[in-house]
Amino acid sequence: MDMARVWPIVCQYGIGSILLALGIWCGITSGYFDLTTRRDRNLLWILVGGFLFLLALVSVFTFWLPYIPKEAGA
Amino acid sequence: METSAFMGTRLDLIVVFAYFAAIVGFGSYFARYTRTTKDFFYGGQRFAWWLIAFSCIATTVGSYSFQKYSEQGFAYGISSSQTYLNDWYWMSILLLVWLPIIYYQRLGSIPEYFERRFGPVSRAFATAIILLYLIAYIGINVYTIGVVLKSLLGWPVFTGAAVTTVLVTLYVMIGGQTSVIMTDLAQGVILLVAGLAVFFAGVVHLGGFGDFWALLPQGHRFAFSEFNAPDKFSFIGVFVQDGLSNSGAFILMNQGIVMRFLAIRSVHDARKMSVCWLLVLAPLAAVATSGAGWLGRALVANGELEMGATDAFVHTAWFLCAPGVFGFVLAALTAALMSTADTLINAVSAIFVNDIWQRHVRPDAADAHYLKVARIVSLAAGALGLALVPIYYYQYESIYYAHAVVTGSIPVPMVIAILFGILWKRYTPAAAVATLAGGLFLVGLSFFPPLDKWLIGPFAFGMGSGSYGFMRALYGFVVCGVLGVVVSLVTKPRPLSELTGLVTGTQLEAMRLYKGGEINRTPGKKARVRVQADATLPNPETVVVPEAALGVMAARPGDILYVSDPRWWFGGLRSVHVRAGQPGDGAVLRMHPDALTDAHLRDGQTAVVEKII
Repeated sequence: MDMARVWPIVCQYGIGSILLALGIWCGITSGYFDLTTRRDRNLLWILVGGFLFLLALVSVFTFWLPYIPKEAGA
Repeated sequence: METSAFMGTRLDLIVVFAYFAAIVGFGSYFARYTRTTKDFFYGGQRFAWWLIAFSCIATTVGSYSFQKYSEQGFAYGISSSQTYLNDWYWMSILLLVWLPIIYYQRLGSIPEYFERRFGPVSRAFATAIILLYLIAYIGINVYTIGVVLKSLLGWPVFTGAAVTTVLVTLYVMIGGQTSVIMTDLAQGVILLVAGLAVFFAGVVHLGGFGDFWALLPQGHRFAFSEFNAPDKFSFIGVFVQDGLSNSGAFILMNQGIVMRFLAIRSVHDARKMSVCWLLVLAPLAAVATSGAGWLGRALVANGELEMGATDAFVHTAWFLCAPGVFGFVLAALTAALMSTADTLINAVSAIFVNDIWQRHVRPDAADAHYLKVARIVSLAAGALGLALVPIYYYQYESIYYAHAVVTGSIPVPMVIAILFGILWKRYTPAAAVATLAGGLFLVGLSFFPPLDKWLIGPFAFGMGSGSYGFMRALYGFVVCGVLGVVVSLVTKPRPLSELTGLVTGTQLEAMRLYKGGEINRTPGKKARVRVQADATLPNPETVVVPEAALGVMAARPGDILYVSDPRWWFGGLRSVHVRAGQPGDGAVLRMHPDALTDAHLRDGQTAVVEKII
């Protein structure tokens, strides 16, 4: 595995997950982000889902699609 | 193909100039909605989420975007799209901490936050840094369109830049934020449609996605560049300069974006806007702005075109488009310019009026006076941006690098100061001054050789001086962060009672202050009612709502309500915020005539009313 292609994912999504968790934690501990309400629960799923969607997207374009087809173009 | 001295046909030129005229006319039309400085800067705080989402994407996609991302897409492949895909992880801090602070504190400008949180000295530094950042950003945009018009029309760079600056400044002066939002809505749609159309036309031309993909070199198919190569497009360079510094600046300190948030009718709509903007429209913008570069590379590999990276967008679009359609694509380029520059010009005007003129020169003048000053400053902001064009022209080898140098340096102290300010109660006023002044000084030092090698070199991950424009951001984050922490630990913080609504942990209190009473978060629905003018009401802010409608909304007397025209496509243009008075007996919602006028609603018409807080 070419780690020069893996480190970017680890770095971006590692630091990204810290920033994301920090905001959610601040919201919950302040009482402003109230997970007992449906509206705020939906927002939580969107925040986490968006993060995972983007992570999946870059993973597909790192580990799979660059090698299809195997014969590279010009 | 019929050609003239310029690259397209006369028909293309007609389309471009017709577009210019249409946008200026469209923007000027909305001047009728601008009567006060609140309208001029914040559009009356009335707009729907979808309208602001499109206008935000138009602002995010600058004139440089099509040029630089196509250039990078041609040279390095699909990793050129990262700029539009690395903002999401800022979302939770924006939506759950920063947005409630700026919205419920009714902040007129970012420097105003600095004064409330840290005191007047910080505000002065923040004002200077933000103005520097915004004017430098206007200059980049104006310079880029000059470069584009030179390659298309043969005009000197300064002439093209001057013509477009005059047009943009004209409609911003006349219509303010409402014109900016409405023209950006149109321009956001146009630039996405044009960019995506070029991409999909090219894919079809090449025989489908499989054939297009096969023609790309394998190194062009990765989501990211290699971690620390090449110098001027490494992953780590783009990540720290764009993902951290530029995205952080966009979300935390870009006055233009903050003003968009303040133009939305509610915090809930701001949440929906952010999701639509960053999760739906931004990925589309990534393809729209980079796609021509990827296609250009495939077309070169297929032997159909010969060109270099810098010509990727224009040559690919010209190759794929019929006469007239090419003009439409060029119009999208100009749309990208105008939609970013107008926001920045309006933002400079807001900061100058709120943080300099109103505060230091004429504190107690009438609103009409400030509105007049705002319009004059809009003109001056455009002129200052234009004055920077020769600097960019002679100093930097590429637009991408010039953009990186600006966004990877000036905003860093501000991003750290705001981030620490909203997340860390212990962060002190002295530390904020140290972060802003000391940080700016130390970042400034890194521009001078050989200091750049000594200061940025250790943060460059083994890359050479070509990476310094990007890696300066990492150096800046480290020195500003260290300054902030160290000075905080040796100086005295403000008591928590003085930080209400300005720091995390106090968002609910900020909501109470905004409302002036206990907040009502009980879920409710929208109600449809007929509105009626009632001059006997004590003030324009209070309305009498039918009891049944209050029940539908789960609202109580004293709650803040939003009354709007039921036709969704107005996007909130005809609406107003009011406060629920005592319940009424009848079936109509009674409003003061001034409130009806402010909302642009007719006496007797049906309206939708919803509870905000």
